[in-house]
Amino acid sequence: MARSAALTALLVFCLCVPAWAAPSGGQAEADALLRRAADIMVTGDLKGAVAVYLQVPAPGPEGDEGQFASSRMQAARLEFAAGDYPAALNVVDELLAVYPDNIEAVRFRASVTDAMLPQWRRLLRDTVKFVPHLLKGSVMTLMLVFFTILVSPLGGLVIALGRISNFRPLSRACWFVIWLFRGTPLLLQLFFIYYGLPAIGITLRPVPAALIGLGLNYSAYLAEIIRSGILSIDRGQMEAAEAMGMTYWQAMRRVIIPQTYRVILPPVGNEFIALIKDTALVSTIAMVELMRTADQLFNASFNVTVLGLAAVIYLAFTTVFTFAFEWLEARVGAYEQR
Amino acid sequence: MHALLELRDIVKSFGGHRAVDHVSLALAPGEKTVIIGPSGSGKSTLLRAINFLETIDSGTILFDGREVGYRTVKGKLVLDKPKHICKLRTQIGMVFQHFHLFPHMTVLGNAMEGPVTVLGAPMDEARKVALSMLEKVGMADFAARYPASLSGGQKQRVAIARALAMQPRLMLFDEPTSALDPELVGEVFATIKQLADEGMTMIIVTHNMGFAREIADRVVFMENGSLLAQGAPDEFFGEHCRDPRIQSFIDRIF
Repeated sequence: MARSAALTALLVFCLCVPAWAAPSGGQAEADALLRRAADIMVTGDLKGAVAVYLQVPAPGPEGDEGQFASSRMQAARLEFAAGDYPAALNVVDELLAVYPDNIEAVRFRASVTDAMLPQWRRLLRDTVKFVPHLLKGSVMTLMLVFFTILVSPLGGLVIALGRISNFRPLSRACWFVIWLFRGTPLLLQLFFIYYGLPAIGITLRPVPAALIGLGLNYSAYLAEIIRSGILSIDRGQMEAAEAMGMTYWQAMRRVIIPQTYRVILPPVGNEFIALIKDTALVSTIAMVELMRTADQLFNASFNVTVLGLAAVIYLAFTTVFTFAFEWLEARVGAYEQR
Repeated sequence: MHALLELRDIVKSFGGHRAVDHVSLALAPGEKTVIIGPSGSGKSTLLRAINFLETIDSGTILFDGREVGYRTVKGKLVLDKPKHICKLRTQIGMVFQHFHLFPHMTVLGNAMEGPVTVLGAPMDEARKVALSMLEKVGMADFAARYPASLSGGQKQRVAIARALAMQPRLMLFDEPTSALDPELVGEVFATIKQLADEGMTMIIVTHNMGFAREIADRVVFMENGSLLAQGAPDEFFGEHCRDPRIQSFIDRIF
């Protein structure tokens, strides 16, 4: 009886002591395992480290989440780094089976499944995600482009006519404008208009500042192109127009300027394509257009696809211009064809 | 009857070179004057001075008996206001050696341009005038074509129609056939001859002596900016020409 009681006590002891001692004993063991795994990882034996990490047992219902979670996350990261995505998923799933709400595991699982997607699926998904934002930014880019295309040929024409005028002060003034805006970086001009003018009491909001900067800069460039176009027309054309009684301005409007179109169209097309890209500079004066949007998205996601998509959108715009100008050139110069 | 155009003592220099040296000339209505002379003798400069494409240094231009084109400011001749110059030019048609058609306009557009832009004529009226002038020079069938598709002779005939559409009182021809292939000269001359026969007053600068002889009421010979001799064509091209310089020039041409 006494012997059986002693056996029972032993049994109870044997059963109870581990149960009683398990939490502290298990934690110490887990700590040891984690340390060992870390030591093995340092030697470069990643597979070995994973094996040790996986020996960290799952705690009971009341147990501590920390060691188990960090062991599985470490193991999963190592598998992921080694390129074994399914293994990484298995490890993480093991963790999620016990702690479905572990936010770190949930996020990691998402990025692993993401990495397992085929390249084109990822590209497609990024495209769907980013393109609407980029297109929204493009609206501003296109607005800047169209405004400048509307304004700068007129400004350029006025400056060009002033430049070839016989009235010295006017011709000098136009020379000066061209000299100034062709001789300094557009970026600097934008800075000056946006940040500099407030110093003399003129404060502009970003959009007007950008429009003024682009308009003046491109007017100056187009002025020289238009002037070269006018100078390329045979003197006899002006003489013939004047000989029939036209005034200088009638001759310019009816005879000279219409003939410059086919001469100046190629370089003007060139300028307008440069303009599409130059609008990216206004992102520096607090304007959100295509380039700025791409920059923001890239900084938030570190996803290079954003930059590629922005490039594709710029290319689409410039391609449209390229073909539009080829079409125009063919039409405008048609009268020279036999 | 007074002269339609009178030039008195015209002088024009380019830098130090005297292109036109005290030239006087009078042109009765309906008279055809041909100016001949070697290259650089000032023929073209004189012709261009008549419609103010060149401004003269001194002298007087009378059109219809009135002094025109210049005012005297501090002893120097200054060209009149553009408005007045343009008004005068509408009455003087000019045909150039190199045509100077407007390449971006059709043949019809070229002929209509003056009436529409300068005279402010209504479109349909200008079209009527332009077409009748193109008809006159035999180019009405080409009305829709562009100048680039025409031969030199055709271009020059369109240029003549373009000048005629302004209904000028005087026509100036500046070497109208010098830029043409020889086989195309005839059609242009025929057109000018027809115009002459209709009574148009004209001054023609040309190197073509045969044409000068055929069309001219008077031939004027210029050399080194001076008007050396003028007279009826027979006096010039006859067997016994008075002036040895004219004789040697004509000999060189033929």
